[in-house]
Amino acid sequence: MEYIINQFVNGICQGFIYALMAVGYSVIVGVVGFVTFTHGEVIVFGAFASFYIFLLCGNNLLLGVIGSFAASWLIGIFVYKICYERFFHAPRHIALICTIGVSMLLKNIAQIIFGPNKKPMLNIIKNKIYSFGIVEISKVQIVIILTVIILSALLFIIFMKTRWGISLRAVSQDKTAAAMMGINVKQTAMIGNCMGSGLAGVAGLLIAINYQTVYATMGSNLSIKAFAAAVLGGLTSVPLAALGGILIGIIENMGITFTSASLRDIFTFVFLIIILIFKPQGFSKKKGVRP
Amino acid sequence: MLKVENLTVNYGYINALNNVNFEVNKGEIITLIGGNGAGKTTTLMSISNLVAKESGRLTFKGADITNLPPHKLVKMGLSHVPEGRKIFPALTVYENLIAGSLGNTDLKKPQINELVQKMYQLFPRLKERCDQGGGTLSGGEQQMLAIARGLMMDPDIIMLDEPSLGLAPIIVEEIFELILKIRDEGKTVLLIEQNASMALSIADRGYVLETGRVVLEGTGKELLNNSDVQKAYLGD
Repeated sequence: MEYIINQFVNGICQGFIYALMAVGYSVIVGVVGFVTFTHGEVIVFGAFASFYIFLLCGNNLLLGVIGSFAASWLIGIFVYKICYERFFHAPRHIALICTIGVSMLLKNIAQIIFGPNKKPMLNIIKNKIYSFGIVEISKVQIVIILTVIILSALLFIIFMKTRWGISLRAVSQDKTAAAMMGINVKQTAMIGNCMGSGLAGVAGLLIAINYQTVYATMGSNLSIKAFAAAVLGGLTSVPLAALGGILIGIIENMGITFTSASLRDIFTFVFLIIILIFKPQGFSKKKGVRP
Repeated sequence: MLKVENLTVNYGYINALNNVNFEVNKGEIITLIGGNGAGKTTTLMSISNLVAKESGRLTFKGADITNLPPHKLVKMGLSHVPEGRKIFPALTVYENLIAGSLGNTDLKKPQINELVQKMYQLFPRLKERCDQGGGTLSGGEQQMLAIARGLMMDPDIIMLDEPSLGLAPIIVEEIFELILKIRDEGKTVLLIEQNASMALSIADRGYVLETGRVVLEGTGKELLNNSDVQKAYLGD
């Protein structure tokens, strides 16, 4: 019983990381309007950015978060310039295929720069375990959950309370009308893409300190998990994508509790397939539309 | 103030506008009327640079705006209220108004708040619904929101694309009264309408478009009394 509860806690923690990736994913799809397959590679670059920052500057989590955010922001600009900027009026599959290509490119660049081997992540947080009765939670997990909550809150404030947020949401709802309002649609879409990428980069950092390893090819699976979580939110609903991420984390960890750790990914994908069969629009209802 | 010279627009092989010329002077209400497919909306879209022009020259306040992107046009003081309203359904009424002010980066916060209050005065119904999602408004309210949003960028000229579309006659009257009020506040209005009699009765001057050409022009009264216009657009 104790084991199951603690696996559940692990699942929540991992779910929070998936949630952050999925939030980034929904921001990208929402604001830019295209599905992306480069998310995993963006995550990898974020993770490696923090790896090198910790290596060079020591244990400074805040610096790591900022660094991974910034590195992924830059990758976001790169992806935007190549995959989206010229294709807003083209058929949607062109941008989609383009992101697949760029994802391969980035994956191989990552292998050239960072090497093909797994690297041990530095232990930046002294691991202490806190017990609440039979529930045990480690300091790393608390840090992860707090980071995700703080970043999501910041994102919420930016989106809901600032003029910047209004222009991002306006672009996500209707690009032509936004252009008529005098919003610079291309620039706003790029910022949206970069914000989503930045969040994914921080998620990469969190994954790395959670698993204690980084490697250049870890992105592909994570990309699909972020996608699966975002699908639960109908691809564009940020809170529901976060919920989807947490659910996937829990399902995965409960699944491997009863079977074997090597089957981890199976649970995510079976879950995704079930959702796509029975509720392809995800949990979201279209808001703000007259019935 | 706004001058359109020899404007030609093609959609693929289809010729939408052919050598259109017209001029809007400061403080006027100008209307373009014409049937479906006459090129009215295309004219506005090409002024806003949302469709590619084949040829032609546009000047606004003396400056060449032929190839300026939409966000720069807004900054110069040209506001476009699109056909079918196109308000942001998931933004609240208040946020929709703020979205309207985003293009004009010269506006500071106090000025924006002032403008919002002014819009609430002009459209009291929007004030009642300020926290409601834009998509939950009725058609007439959405049209008012669209016009208010267009005025939020504090433009010199506001281009209205079929503000009467799909609205009950009593609401249409309300909207046309508002257009007069907007003009009285010192804005120039370029109005595009299918409801020709209404549009001509408030317009200073009008142009009649037919299959992409300007076939007639004159003051609102002249056109109302013109027998061709009466036959074709006023149903007499």
